[in-house]
Amino acid sequence: MSPDLEVELARLRLRNPAILASGILGSSYGLMRRVEEAGAGAITTKTITREPREGYLNPVFVDLEFGYLNAMGLPNPGITAFKMELRRAAENIRIPVIVSIGGRDESEFIEVAEQALDAGCNAIELNLSCPHVGGYGLEIGSDIRLACNIIRSIKSISSRPVFAKISVYQARPDIVSRYIGSGADGVTAINTIRAAAISVESMTPILSNIFGGLSGPCIRPIAVAAVYEIRRELPDVPIIGVGGVDGWRAALELILAGANAVGVGSAIARKDLEIFREIIEGLRGFLASRGFKSIKELVGYAQRL
Amino acid sequence: MSYITGVIERIRNLTKSIKEYEIFLEDCVKPEPGQFVMLWIPRIGEIPLSFADAEDNIIRFIVARVGRVTGYMHERLMAGDKVFIRGPLGRGFRWAPSGRALLVAGGYGLAPLHFLAKKLRAAGCGVKALLGFKSDDDVFYREEFERLGEVEISVEHGSSGYRGTVLDLFRNVIQGEIYDMVYVCGKEELNLAVMRECLIAGLPVEASFERRIRCGAGICGSCSIEPLGLRVCKDGPIFDGRMIMPMLGAERIEG
Repeated sequence: MSPDLEVELARLRLRNPAILASGILGSSYGLMRRVEEAGAGAITTKTITREPREGYLNPVFVDLEFGYLNAMGLPNPGITAFKMELRRAAENIRIPVIVSIGGRDESEFIEVAEQALDAGCNAIELNLSCPHVGGYGLEIGSDIRLACNIIRSIKSISSRPVFAKISVYQARPDIVSRYIGSGADGVTAINTIRAAAISVESMTPILSNIFGGLSGPCIRPIAVAAVYEIRRELPDVPIIGVGGVDGWRAALELILAGANAVGVGSAIARKDLEIFREIIEGLRGFLASRGFKSIKELVGYAQRL
Repeated sequence: MSYITGVIERIRNLTKSIKEYEIFLEDCVKPEPGQFVMLWIPRIGEIPLSFADAEDNIIRFIVARVGRVTGYMHERLMAGDKVFIRGPLGRGFRWAPSGRALLVAGGYGLAPLHFLAKKLRAAGCGVKALLGFKSDDDVFYREEFERLGEVEISVEHGSSGYRGTVLDLFRNVIQGEIYDMVYVCGKEELNLAVMRECLIAGLPVEASFERRIRCGAGICGSCSIEPLGLRVCKDGPIFDGRMIMPMLGAERIEG
């Protein structure tokens, strides 16, 4: 019998642990369907805000030799328009759809969450960590009390799982336990890390916003450490590990550190959607070759000293 | 992939709102017809441009003045100025070096078709180009295409060539002539209409699509053709008619 990749994540049942990370491809029904067809275990949408957001001017993306830098500026159609895409997804997409929610204050988070729940999303991820949009993301997440209040209000209207997406700066067991204490069902760690790139040829910053978020293989060791530390102190917290997942080995590394599932993001730039199959087949092959029956056996395995 | 530095060698006015930029690149690129680059002008912006021509280190772009970045290019860029490109990006035409090809262009949509015609011609294919414009003053690149094959021009208002739209001209031409392959680039209505007619007639067809492109790497999803979920920057910009079929009223297409 082929090894089992199914995982449970805060009451969500995933056919495998490879989740489309937020910010990547997930703001339209057509693309969500393709991600499902590509094999993903779940989809996280792009961050949705109350009003539509244009995002920043180009350039918004830099392909660095050791990773990627982006400052899209949270472009999204706004919750009202996105609800239509979400309804179609709820009707036709079988894997869980986690809606990433952004807001400048508690009321915006609540308003967007209400609409997303109404449209049939399976779970919510709170963007408390985008490092390059004024008023959103990390600016909210840096205020732990505010973040806890937001989590509490969202939990009061949602019976479905709520994940807090945290930055490396908040990826500490003491902060995560406050989030869990406020009602969060789990955490997604980590977001991109604030960064910039300057072209030596033009002697100017490349991103129009100057600052962006660093992703890719170069942040994987940071993500591994964050996940490991959270898992060590909080054995039961559902964790989605994100950062530098560019194949099955990287996915497995985060799982061994303690992630129940992993987010796949900018690696799609190099490997395209085939990366999901690569991860699934690679994990299955590894489990079979080492005699494991289920991927669940490997969650946090590296902590067994 | 980092930027390649380019120096503008020559700028040519093609019409009152369209210019051709000839750029010398510090590194050689080997694009396929239909592929594009992101052209970055520091502090101004970054836009997608398809290759109108590429040979060794010299590339040509046709730039219509449509927005902020192209406006800056038209007004401020001069020979000797530096620009930066990343690419080639996307999937080009799946052209095969055989038979007879019909190219259908709406306005500056002729850019990628020019590069394609050059490759087709070099491979020994027969090429006929239908170039559509609004008026006599908008006509450009006629001579460039005439060097590569047969050309027919359509104008909606004026006296050069066929009087009407390039879609009408296309309909006339395929009634009496035989082609192995059709390539189209223009406004989406033109692309879809030509694709629809080709699929009904059982003719292979490819079209170049346009969307606002941001990351250019297939990850941000901004350029998706919905509801198909096809990314112009990665799955395209060239699409086979059969991929686009669900948008064409497929129930009327046989086979």
